[in-house]
Amino acid sequence: MDVKAHARRRRAWLTSWLQVGPMALVLVLLFALPTLLFFVVSFFDYDRVGIYPAFILDNYQDLLTTPATWRIYLSTMRFAVMAWAITLVLGFFIALFLVFHIRSGKTRMVLFLACAVPFWTSGIIRTIAWIPFLGRNGAFNTILEKLHIIDHPLEFLLFSDFSVMVTYIHLYTLLMMAPIANSMAKIDESLIEAARDCGASRFQVLRLIIIPLSRTGIALGSILVFTQVIGDYFVVKRMSGGQSASIVSALSTEIQAMQYPPAAASAVVLVIFVAILVAGMMRVVDVRRELAR
Amino acid sequence: MSRPRVREKRPYTFYLLASLMGLYLLFLYGPMIIIYILSFQGPDGGVTFPMVGFSTKWFGDILKPGQMADIPSSFGRSMLLSSAVCLLTVIMSVAAGLGFRRRFPGAAALFYLAIASLVMPSLLVGFGIGLGFQFLGLPQGLFTSALGAQLTWTLPFGLLTMFAVVARFNRSCEEAATALGATAFQRLWLVTLPLLMPGIIGVAVGAFTLSYDEYARTTLVIGSKNTLPLEIYALISSDSTPELFAIGTVTTVVSFALILAMLAFVLRLQRRRTRG
Amino acid sequence: MDARYDVELIDVTKRYEDSIAVDAISLRIPKASYCCLLGPSGCGKSSTLRMIAGHEDITEGDILIAGQNVTDLPSIKRGTAMMFQNYALFPHLTCIDNVAFSLQVRGIAKSARRARARGFLDLVHMADFAERLPAQLSGGQQQRVALARALIVEPKVLLLDEPLSALDPFLRVKVREELKRLQRDLAITFIHVTHSQDEAMALADQMVVMEAGHIRQSGPPREVFERPASGFVARFIGGHNLFTTDRGEVAVRADRCSLTTTGGTPAQVIAVEYQGTSVRVALKTEHGSDIFAVLPDQVFFAAPVEPGTATQLLWSVEDEHRL
Repeated sequence: MDVKAHARRRRAWLTSWLQVGPMALVLVLLFALPTLLFFVVSFFDYDRVGIYPAFILDNYQDLLTTPATWRIYLSTMRFAVMAWAITLVLGFFIALFLVFHIRSGKTRMVLFLACAVPFWTSGIIRTIAWIPFLGRNGAFNTILEKLHIIDHPLEFLLFSDFSVMVTYIHLYTLLMMAPIANSMAKIDESLIEAARDCGASRFQVLRLIIIPLSRTGIALGSILVFTQVIGDYFVVKRMSGGQSASIVSALSTEIQAMQYPPAAASAVVLVIFVAILVAGMMRVVDVRRELAR
Repeated sequence: MSRPRVREKRPYTFYLLASLMGLYLLFLYGPMIIIYILSFQGPDGGVTFPMVGFSTKWFGDILKPGQMADIPSSFGRSMLLSSAVCLLTVIMSVAAGLGFRRRFPGAAALFYLAIASLVMPSLLVGFGIGLGFQFLGLPQGLFTSALGAQLTWTLPFGLLTMFAVVARFNRSCEEAATALGATAFQRLWLVTLPLLMPGIIGVAVGAFTLSYDEYARTTLVIGSKNTLPLEIYALISSDSTPELFAIGTVTTVVSFALILAMLAFVLRLQRRRTRG
Repeated sequence: MDARYDVELIDVTKRYEDSIAVDAISLRIPKASYCCLLGPSGCGKSSTLRMIAGHEDITEGDILIAGQNVTDLPSIKRGTAMMFQNYALFPHLTCIDNVAFSLQVRGIAKSARRARARGFLDLVHMADFAERLPAQLSGGQQQRVALARALIVEPKVLLLDEPLSALDPFLRVKVREELKRLQRDLAITFIHVTHSQDEAMALADQMVVMEAGHIRQSGPPREVFERPASGFVARFIGGHNLFTTDRGEVAVRADRCSLTTTGGTPAQVIAVEYQGTSVRVALKTEHGSDIFAVLPDQVFFAAPVEPGTATQLLWSVEDEHRL
């Protein structure tokens, strides 16, 4: 009897392994092994003509003792935290509006699609769309001048930290809003009524019921926005006008110069950094169980 | 005694949040509208205001292979690559989604591998794969390294979507099919897949869009012939003309059409099901 | 002003986009009574309850609780508390924090509110489960916690939305008894929405039968059962046959009908259900209408019938209730 049950369980495992096999194979071959590879390469030696297998820690030492590294990490973290905070507030309240204030399902669908449609346009084009809008002679300055709010065009709008932030918010608010809205949609309406019945004010309902019950969405959205901003190299390069660099844009410069070992060391440090951040956020919620709820 | 009352009393927060929503939509579409307008820039106009006349020259330019960029052929390559990515993602994620319904040794490891692949800074994925191809002496190409790099992005997305889809799936339908004498294959083909269809379409659409837009993972492993986003990227780095905006306008129109078509399809599927 | 009624509805109407859920109903519920709103689904009973609770805007009319017009007041100021059909326990809070929630939002210190909440958990015999999350409790246990959470606000009126529908039949009878005892002990009004006539008859001091947004009959259960106001009420509360005689349309209790071979209304036996103390015989008349008789077991087994048998149904004119 016991033997039979054991064999049946084995067979069930085999079925599952066959079903997840292709995906596991792709992820191991094209994600895990390449990651391992640059981990190995990060200890290699290099000069102007090539790279040489070795085990040296110079790449890490160079990286971590360069003040520029710390500056870039700090600057990227600053962007990430700001983009996270703003998209969180924006995404949370828009999700709140869509889920709890719109009564007709059709209106909700239309508004949600309206938020999602720009996502289907290439991120590169959405980024550069801000240039004619924010530029010195751009639409925004022109409107303000026509309205006599300002005399001279505002200079800080484009090719500045400001335009980088604006672009991040434009690109990534949906990534925050969608998972939060998904969590909120699972909150039973009667919980809110029960809280009101107990005398909770609108604000107390938000603080004591809605926010705790949306934490899965908040965590997922935070992970997505954080990793997107940390992994970005295009927006910073293009929208800061060369004034700011990001971790990855610095890394990509090294790759283009074929300096693979220092690039690999930098990549390893970045991966560890992201892993710590994400692991921290995953501790808040069991993403897998919550998705399947 | 009784008095008529305004039917729905909206709380003041409704108006606050509605204004926020309105402002957000304005913020979302404002710059997009500017590029739609500028894509009709006259032949002598530039990438900023003012408009110098009105023309459809830039839309025509998209179709002509230029010196800097060849939009039509890169578009063709992008469509091919995205279709392949989409197909593979659907097959692998649906299979994996079904596999994850049982507990099996290694499930947690695979799940965290997928999460890691999703949150990995994109350029690093390309970097690793590029190094691998270089060490093995393999040539990079559209359907080898680029396809692989994009799968590391679309597969985790597909898997997470399937988790949510499979959770809503009622297993008793499958048990009923078995009880009625269906073979494992008939059960899959006649019961499981049709019931999962809306979710599968979601995975397909998602995978296609993610792949079609991808540049950070692909850029280091594309080989010699660019996809559309990489071609646009090249265009930006060289010199800017309103042709870029024309591409943006066309992309938006095409995605609107695709969304409408998909909505119509899903609605028809639902209606057929409720009628049936 | 000392009110004679705990709850008064005056021409209360609830209109949605283009349908009327509740159509100008008026109702008075005396002090400290158990009132059941009974009716088929979609009759407006839940809308009525939700309007009393303040969870649904009232389109027209007024609601008075203990003599005070509460039409425009929020839930908490009405002196009502609601127990939801799915219990609506906050899934992220332990039982004791669920019960203490209304004290928490009033800003009462943690130790004080927990002590008080424990008292109410004791009242529903759930003190041992204070630190559990709702998901770790059975349906019946969740319901007790929900009850404690509603009672802690010390309501004048407790509103219960189909409180027994999620329980299994054995538990249902037990909880029914407890609800009734609790209502007597606390001496407050309970308004209980249900679609089960058994439940309403077992519990109610006042039974309100609703249909299509109207109140069809309101009164003590015995009065409603013995003198149904209309064919609908007679059919809905069950146990009655409806006949059209030369004296007009009448309702006759099925347990006052008997089977005979001559002198009755001809009918054919469709089904026989043994119910322990009695036997229910379903019949079809020559005109095709469905009727039935409930016979004491000795009477039935003295002259048993089988499906397909032709028989006749007999009742006396005194047992007819004219509609």
